[in-house]
Amino acid sequence: MLKAVSRAAGLAKTQLSKSLPALSTCSVRLQTCPPDPTCIKEAWKIENESIISMPDEQRQKNALESTITVPTKVDLTPVNGVPEEHIKTRRVRIYKPSKNAMQSGTNNIHHWEMEFDNRQRWENPLMGWTSTGDPLSNMKIQFSSPDEAIEHCEKNGWMWYIDEPKIEKSEKPKNYGLNFSWNRRTRVSTK
Amino acid sequence: MTKADYYCSVKLSRCRCCQSKFFNESIRMLRQPLTRALALKSPTRAAPLAARCQATQIQPQPDKVEVFIDDKPVYVLPGTTILQATAQAGVEIPRFCYHERLAVAGNCRMCLVEVEKSPKPAAACAMPVMKGMRVKTNSDLTRKAREGVMEFLLVNHPLDCPICDQGGECDLQDQSMAFGSDKSRFTDIHFSGKRAVEDKDVGPLIKTIMTRCIHCTRCIRFASEVAGVDDFGTTGRGTDMQVGTYVEKMFLSELSGNIIDLCPVGALTSKPYSFAARPWETRRIDSVDVLDPLGSNIVVTTRTNEVLRILPRTNEEINEEWLSDKSRFACDGLKRQRLVTPMLTDSRGNLTPVEWEDAIVAAARALRDCPPEKLLVVAGDMADAESLMALKDLANKLGSENVCTEQYFPLEGAGIDLRSSYLLNTKIANVEDADFVLLIGTNVRFEAPLLNARIRKAYVHKETDIALIGPQVDLTYDYLHVGESASIVKDLATGTSSHEVMKRLQQAKRPIVILGADQLKTPEGSALLAYTQELALKVQEKLADKEWKVLNVLQRTASQVAALDIGYKPGVGKLLQSGPKVVYLLGADNGVVSRDQLPKDAVVIYQGHHGDNGAAIADIVLPGAAYTEKRATYVNAEGRAQQTLVAVTPPGKAREDWKIIRALSEVVGERLPYDNLDEIRDRLSQVSPALVNYGNVQDNNYFAQARALAQSLQKPISGKMDVQLKQLEDYFMTDSISRASPTMAKCVQAVLKQKQSSY
Amino acid sequence: MSVGKILGLDKVVTLFNIIRQNGGIRASLYKLYRQDELKDGVLVGEDKFGNKYYENPRYFYSRNRWVEYSDKFNMDYDGSQIPAEWFGWMHYKTDLPPHQDPSRPRYKWMTNYNENLTGTTAQYVPYSTTRPKVEAWLPPRKSSV
Repeated sequence: MLKAVSRAAGLAKTQLSKSLPALSTCSVRLQTCPPDPTCIKEAWKIENESIISMPDEQRQKNALESTITVPTKVDLTPVNGVPEEHIKTRRVRIYKPSKNAMQSGTNNIHHWEMEFDNRQRWENPLMGWTSTGDPLSNMKIQFSSPDEAIEHCEKNGWMWYIDEPKIEKSEKPKNYGLNFSWNRRTRVSTK
Repeated sequence: MTKADYYCSVKLSRCRCCQSKFFNESIRMLRQPLTRALALKSPTRAAPLAARCQATQIQPQPDKVEVFIDDKPVYVLPGTTILQATAQAGVEIPRFCYHERLAVAGNCRMCLVEVEKSPKPAAACAMPVMKGMRVKTNSDLTRKAREGVMEFLLVNHPLDCPICDQGGECDLQDQSMAFGSDKSRFTDIHFSGKRAVEDKDVGPLIKTIMTRCIHCTRCIRFASEVAGVDDFGTTGRGTDMQVGTYVEKMFLSELSGNIIDLCPVGALTSKPYSFAARPWETRRIDSVDVLDPLGSNIVVTTRTNEVLRILPRTNEEINEEWLSDKSRFACDGLKRQRLVTPMLTDSRGNLTPVEWEDAIVAAARALRDCPPEKLLVVAGDMADAESLMALKDLANKLGSENVCTEQYFPLEGAGIDLRSSYLLNTKIANVEDADFVLLIGTNVRFEAPLLNARIRKAYVHKETDIALIGPQVDLTYDYLHVGESASIVKDLATGTSSHEVMKRLQQAKRPIVILGADQLKTPEGSALLAYTQELALKVQEKLADKEWKVLNVLQRTASQVAALDIGYKPGVGKLLQSGPKVVYLLGADNGVVSRDQLPKDAVVIYQGHHGDNGAAIADIVLPGAAYTEKRATYVNAEGRAQQTLVAVTPPGKAREDWKIIRALSEVVGERLPYDNLDEIRDRLSQVSPALVNYGNVQDNNYFAQARALAQSLQKPISGKMDVQLKQLEDYFMTDSISRASPTMAKCVQAVLKQKQSSY
Repeated sequence: MSVGKILGLDKVVTLFNIIRQNGGIRASLYKLYRQDELKDGVLVGEDKFGNKYYENPRYFYSRNRWVEYSDKFNMDYDGSQIPAEWFGWMHYKTDLPPHQDPSRPRYKWMTNYNENLTGTTAQYVPYSTTRPKVEAWLPPRKSSV
């Protein structure tokens, strides 16, 4: 027993333990990663030329050195396992949530949302609750912009449309004094 | 907007951002570790960042005042209140009494903020900004002020949130969580001094629990400014202050439901919805209202496949954030008098429930055996564009051209060929910019309550004057009553009259003329329309503003514009006299077609959602879906196409209307070439692209042509104008849904009772 | 041990006894067809449905008590037709059949035993206990002629 423990302790000092990253699930070896930043004594050396060059030139240079990425249309439908019924027949509405008319706060409406068309519900005879066969009925996803929502829908193969709210208001200063103006119809009669 | 268009606009905006992006990036490059700055950025990741930089960068504007909200500069118009300025900076200040669409009251004090160099906190809702003002919306002083105000409000507010209908959507609840104190200093545990106020009875729609009132006076301001019924007010002072109607009185307004929304606490709640549901257990579906011609945007709240309530949804171009009472409260009519199964008349002449197959086969047989010229199709008030289209295609395939609507509109002259002659050309939102309004033969207050609210808004805020030709009715604002005779319009149009109205019309920079479509039913209708067109165009061509449209025709129903766009003939008149063999009623419930006008052996097919006048005379009943149960297109009075969404499933065996017609066409043997919603909407766009251009409205033209075509119709007219809806009690029950609604029936009763009272 | 026993003649005798007790060859064949077995035993009792309860200790435990369902059930017999009072005896909870057991409680509130009616027209069918959400339109009656 004692022997086994000491052997294991000895093992830790051998070459095997050092090559542990080879056993890790990470596909990239540690050596190929940038060196540990804590080990770097000073900042990276940067070519003088790259510092004094104009941003445009720098961009140009970077662009020439790198490969060009072409945005490809990603289609998840063959691999995500969603039944075809819920891809081809669904219609996604992309919209900005409306303010609840009962409240004046607006903190929860500054984003875009997507929702699916409402499918049939039927009534449970015992309690009167309703059931639905639609797995997407509760899926509401929030996005910060409509293009993100569009991208998401395109990726999943859903038909979408944008419902743009008409909430643009003209900027009109309000005036407390109007309540008391003597020759205007805004004068308050009841208080 | 198509997909391609949308992408285009997105790309353009990104390009504009790029100009500033280089600048920003160069700055960052010097500040950050260079490794990161030099790392290559993919364009997709850089773009949103650049857009953010663009948004925060503020250009100084000459006519504006610079103020600092939490040290962030904002440029606002002079005279703007602090609260509006902070809203522009993206900071929301808590408020109870302040409401964007009402006058500033400044009595709740919740919006107190610290202003630098000011000895006391200032009420942000009433304080105008000054140049260089520094506002602190989150300083210690501000927070302490809010906490103090909240404490005072809660001293006299009952702790009955668990039984309060506002619970979950209550401003006081939310703001006490966000800004209130964490502990109570309320020591009066015997409740000897806690305020209690007697509840008021203000009618069958609004439930009052006045003890909960925090005296924000929003309801008072709404009643006197927007609704124009100056019944609400306060009595007493200090702790004895009460909001009420002085004497017990019903709130006699067609917009009364909005004070439920406005009330920031649970003092005013909806009576039909009381104790029905909590906001977190309901689903909200954005939809469009069809009970009046304006197509107000609504949110349908549902739970367990049942419509619980309807709330307004903000649309600045149509309803702002108001909703009329019929649209809001008639939703319980969707649960009564419904057609839930197909029906056929049996040998005794009684309608008996049958399966779809039998009903469709019976209807198909009737349609096939009918000679084409003896087929008559009549569309009603709430038919959607899809079913109108499908039914017209079916009738045309059977060789019949007899498709018409219940509402009449003169076909002489330009008739319905030019869209401008049957629409609200000025558009609802522009009405508030008008400086003179001439109403001809319409009671806007009850035919389109929110249009009337717009006119009243112009009346109050823009000093707009209004004149009315037609019966004298209460429009909630003062107007010049010109007379009741239609000949006045003729005199004005031909220039023979030197009435004051004519002078006002000519002096006005933005006048509008609104003609009620009901006046066109009479034999003199075409002449009246011709004279109105003449009058409006005569005024319009002298205007400096060439874009301004003067002529407006106010339709009465939600389906009429779509039906006319699709090519339905308005009015059944002559077609009915020719003795039709088969009459297909698509939700036609106004009693325009009755059994005694038809030959004995005529077959009446009724397709619709309510058992009303139409179903009562039918031989075959096909149950359709109401507007909350289908995805359908409706075009409002200004020609704006909008779609309703499915909120609940149609009851029983009822189905979506256009699908019924599509199925019927298959059995008749004239298959309609569309199988799904997209295909039928393609067909709609073939007929008129405006029908599927959702949310948008196009400018109308060809006024001069319509005027030229109408020249020959200018015959002398002498009739007296009359309107259908004169009093508030006439307003509530006008269509099959509101006639089935118990709440609307209660409203009529309550109004009639109120009329007998001495107040 | 007798010769007959060695030759298995006693089994033949038992068979004849069984057939006799069951009322002859025709009746025995009918019982065999109806119950898939033929046994002899002592009639212990009969319940209100007419089911007959037998016992024969010669058979192995758990097969030594059985019921012959009343003829009125024909082939549609099942275990739920044994009333509750006989249930205990059938399942060896007690050795006293109900009519010989003085300590069986009898209360006024005890209801009559009913067989399980599932699968028949008299079965229990659950019904919706919820209020209908939509009120249907009833067409006006035109005439009763």
